[in-house]
Order: sequence, then structure tokens, then C-alpha cells
Amino acid sequence: MPLASTGSIPLRNFGRTDVKISALGFGGHHLGEAPDEKTAVELIHQAVDGGITFYDNCWEYRRGKTEVWMGAGLKGLRKRVFLMTKTCPHGRDASLALRMLEESLNRLQTDYLDLWQVHGMAFENDPDLFIRPNGAAEALTRAKKDGKVRFVGFTGHQNPKVHLGMLNTGFPFDSVQMPLNAFDANFRSFEQQVLPELNKRGIAALGMKPLNGHGDAIKAGVITAEEALRYAMSLPVATTITGIDTKEVLEQNLQIAQNFTPMSEPEMTALRERCKRDSADGRFELYKLSLKYDNPESRMAHGFPLDTQQIEVKDMLGVEQNTGHPFPEKQF
Amino acid sequence: MSSGNWSRRGFIKGATIAASGPILARGTMAKQQTGSSQNSSGEVPSGEVPKRPLGRTGVQVSAMGLGGYHIGSADTDKEAMEIVARAVDHGVNFFDNAWEYHDGLSEERIGKALKGKRQQAFVMTKVCTHGRDKNLAMRMLEQSLRRLQTDHLDLWQIHEVIYDNDPELIFAPNGAAEALLQARQQGKVRFVGFTGHKDPDIHLKMLAHDFPFDTIQMPLNCCDATFRSFETHVLPEANRRGLAVLGMKSLGGSGELVRHGAVTPHDGLRYAMSLPVATTISGVDSVEVLNQNLAVAVNFQPLDDTAMQRLRDQCRSVASDGRNELFKMTTKYDGKIGREQHHFPNPQELPL
Repeated sequence: MPLASTGSIPLRNFGRTDVKISALGFGGHHLGEAPDEKTAVELIHQAVDGGITFYDNCWEYRRGKTEVWMGAGLKGLRKRVFLMTKTCPHGRDASLALRMLEESLNRLQTDYLDLWQVHGMAFENDPDLFIRPNGAAEALTRAKKDGKVRFVGFTGHQNPKVHLGMLNTGFPFDSVQMPLNAFDANFRSFEQQVLPELNKRGIAALGMKPLNGHGDAIKAGVITAEEALRYAMSLPVATTITGIDTKEVLEQNLQIAQNFTPMSEPEMTALRERCKRDSADGRFELYKLSLKYDNPESRMAHGFPLDTQQIEVKDMLGVEQNTGHPFPEKQF
Repeated sequence: MSSGNWSRRGFIKGATIAASGPILARGTMAKQQTGSSQNSSGEVPSGEVPKRPLGRTGVQVSAMGLGGYHIGSADTDKEAMEIVARAVDHGVNFFDNAWEYHDGLSEERIGKALKGKRQQAFVMTKVCTHGRDKNLAMRMLEQSLRRLQTDHLDLWQIHEVIYDNDPELIFAPNGAAEALLQARQQGKVRFVGFTGHKDPDIHLKMLAHDFPFDTIQMPLNCCDATFRSFETHVLPEANRRGLAVLGMKSLGGSGELVRHGAVTPHDGLRYAMSLPVATTISGVDSVEVLNQNLAVAVNFQPLDDTAMQRLRDQCRSVASDGRNELFKMTTKYDGKIGREQHHFPNPQELPL
């Protein structure tokens, strides 16, 4: 199959709007794994040339590094892309969320975002904390009104019930981000429980973790990368965000996306069936299961303890070389 | 079948006891907010644990049940015998067990302890097919009956329904559901049910099969009330269907609710027993722990709605990340045999 260095990826509508975004999105977290800024900038240039228009990021990824690098990579290209980042109040006040927005805009070298989402809805009380007076909901409304963001949404990978709780707050979200892959289909499933509700409401569904976060199922030989990505992209979503940290990964993803044809319904059913047995204990979706995938910043903001003797927490703290200091004590 | 080292059981052993003993003695760690007039000092009042109807079966069982796993954890046979005798003296008639607990020791001890008292007791054990077929289930039943020294069980439940594909495996042709029917038809068991600690949705999937279950066992405690809640999602449905609900893990499985300061053992147990359940099964591996439980259960008075709500509110924030209910969150409470039979790797091999 030909790989076009300048190519096109199918475009889809962002929810009920007329705005078009590429069916494959560039995941910001993995960008921080590039060896240096120069490589990261090159990756972004190549992705834009290859037809990716959707760019994901987050205020707290790698202490701001990924926003800075993405900002550098998109310099002069801002108009050609749909730029998203996330705010990380983790239940705290609207004013904190808005301060994070200013930082994000600054790092991304832009004066507006196409999409601003509340990051990491994970805990049972997150919907209450979000919608409370002076909670993050007010920040989203304010930023939109001030013209600093065009659309707003939320993200999370833990529990479909928490997503439904967020929708039940009645807040007018434009987008919702969630893990969607062939394993999710049969385990605490966002595909079954959340996706139909979004489509019914006309909210843009943003898929993530098409390769289960770290590709463990691919390494175990249950599924190939191409099958996994094609499955996720064949769902009724606006885009599928996937992490890109090297030229090789980018080229592989571009190849699949540029030549994308949706899987047929029987193909999708067959793949779900193949993955079913290995889905049932959740080991390929540890982000739904283990405290290890809890965000330590979020745990602290919620007042949850970090038991540093617990193996999950040891691993969790190691994930991003986190210092364990909550915002705003940590200086950038 | 030889199951060597059960890590989860090893973890549970001692933790319940070590945690609840001294903390109960201190008593002030979590505030006493229920205004309870019942004694919380561990003294056992004279009287009995009240009886309640077991769903629509017409049978009465004690509002507190003796957990079978911990009977196998007691230091000696003698202590296990003492626990059972003392429990029976105080009106406890519900005895929980499972084919796989301690490689049969738990069943053997209960069999021995209930010798001559079988008629006074309501004996339950669980079958551990973990997705395998009816014939295996029936062989396990014969073994359980022999160990328990009885010709029939009062209740036989499918153990550890915790994986998302379990309902499908259980109701497959020649699956464990057929064994329940056959055993009942043969008069070897009076009533049938299932247990699980993982996910309310899995319990609901089981119920959706409209199988004639008499009982359903689930974790119920004041953190569960607001976290992936069996109380909210399964309990009302079970009550609506007239099933007898058997509560378990009233303190989080290993006393997590107490150790993390969410609730006192006294309030935690009282909360669980005040729900619309037939019985609350509690693990006991020493006479001392039994006495602590009896102090709550003898002459039991349920909490009123206001006190229940206060406990839910008190626990809500500490409940919401699941650290007090690790059985819903991690593999820590999942049995090794069950994982093997599902072809899942050992937790030690997982990046958890």
C-alpha cells in the first residue's frame, strides 16, 4: 500500500457541527516520549502533511512539555488543525481551571482552542464536583463565552457509569472522550453504555486507547495493530486518538488511516468474539481496573491517600516521574 | 485438586482480625455517629441473634451468618468447634462455606462441629466450577456432602461469579445452572443461588436469565452504597424478585473500612445488617471476633433511615476511589482456581 507523505485521511463531522476533523487524531501524551523538541516538531509536521488535523493534548502531560512541543510544531500551521487540550482541576475550582487554560494557550502559542476538555473523570464523585457551584462546569461556560475555546467536553477511562453521571449533570457538552477498542466491547463497555447515548444526543464521540493503552494485547498476539485501529475507527466516532512517539508509529498509523475502509459488521462481530474471553477479567484494560492507572495528581486533589507501600501506587508514581507535589506548589 | 498458595486468602487471613480487634477496642478512631445505644465494647448480651425469612422459601435464618472461609483459618480444630458451638448457643443457624475453601478443611470442620446439631442448622456451601460443566459440579457436590457429613444441603450456590463472561458460561448447555436444577430435583439441595464480589452488572446479567434462584450473595457495606453499588443496583432488583439476599464484606473484606477510618466495626456491621437482607455473612476465626460480632447481632436493632444516610454520607468521599472495596477494583480477592479455569494468567504475572 502506498504511503503518502502528503496524503489525506477521511474527515468526519465533529458531532452535530459542520466542523470537520480527521478520523485519526494525534495523541499528545506520547509526543513527550520523543527524544527532543526537534524530533517532536518534525513528527507534527509530518502528521499535518499526512492529513491528521486533530491534535490532542493536556495541561498536565509531562509537566507541560507536550504542550510546549506541540505549540512549536504547529507554529504557522495553527489554522490547518483542530487543537484540543484538557484542563485538570480534578474536582477543584473554576478559577484554577481557567488559570490552567491561560497556561495551556501560552504553551501552545495560540489565543484560542478548538476544544477544551475536563481531564480524567474517574471517581464516583467527579460528576458532583464538576457541576457544583464554582466547579469546572463554570470554567467551561466562561471560556466559551470569552471566545477562548470553541467547544467543550470531558474525558475519562475508568468507568462508563461515571461518564453517564457526567452526561446526567445536564451540562451542554460538545464532545466526550473514552476508551474504545475491541476489548472494551465486552468489559465494562463504553461502546455499549456510553457511545449510543452520545450519538443519540449529537455529541462528538472521541475514541482513545484503540490499542488498549500500551498495546499489551498486540504483544500477546490476540490482535494485530491494524485490526485494533481499524476496529476503533469503524465505530460511530468523530475521531480515534492514538499515541504517536516515533516516525515508525506515525507512518504505520498514517498508512492505516489513509487507506481506511470501515470494517463490515460481521468483521467487527468476529473480532469482538475473538477478544471476548481475554476481555472478561479486564487485564488488557487495566485503566478500568487498577489503582495503578489512577492519576496521582487527581488522587491528591480529591483527598485520596497515596499509600506509597502499595505496589499499584509505586508503579503509578513512576509512570510520569511524578514528584507527588500537587498543583500549585510545583513550579514549572 | 491441589491449590497451593492462595494469595488472596493469605492476605485476608489475619487482616480482618488484626484490624478489627484493636481498632474496636479503641473505638474512637471513627466517630460514633449513629447514636447507637447498643454496646460496642465487645460484651455479648444475653439473648439471641434474631431470625429473618430467607426470601420466599418459608425458612428462617439468623440475621448474622458464620462465614466458612475463616473457620478454616482458625488456629486449631478445637477453636473452630468452640466458635460454632458458641454461635449456635446465641441463635446463629446460617453456616456459609465453599468447596474450595482451604482445600476442604472449612467444610470438614463445619461437618464435625455440627454433628448432632444438623437439624438446627441451615447449611450452605458453594460449587466452584468456574465456568466448567455440570458433571464436575455434581462431583463437587458429593464431595461437599461427605465433608459436611450430611445427605443434603439447605443451600447450594455457584461461587465467585466475577468475570464478564461467567453468566454465559454458567447458562451454556451442560453448564453449572443445569447442575443446580438436577441437584434440587434429586433432593440433595433445598435451595440454590449464586455469589460474586466484582460488579453489579454481572449480577444483573445473571438475574436477567430468569433462572429460579432462591438466593443471591453480594458485598454490602456503607462504602458500597456509593461506589459501583450492589445496594443501589442489585439489592432492589433481588428484593423485587423475592430472592433472599445474603450480604458479605460488611467491613470491606479485610477490615479496610475500619483501617482507613471510614467507620467503626460496630457501625459497619450494623449498617450491613440493617439493609433489607436475609443475613449478613461475617468471617470469624476466633472466639474473640465472634464475641465482637455477637455484641452487635444479639438482640439486633436496625438503624433508622437517618442514621443509615448519615453513614453513607460519612463514607461517600472515602468510598469514591474504591480503595475500601478492593474486591471490586483489583485481582486481590479473586481466587486462583477461578482465574486458572478461565485461562487468565496469575495476578503475579500481571503488571498490576
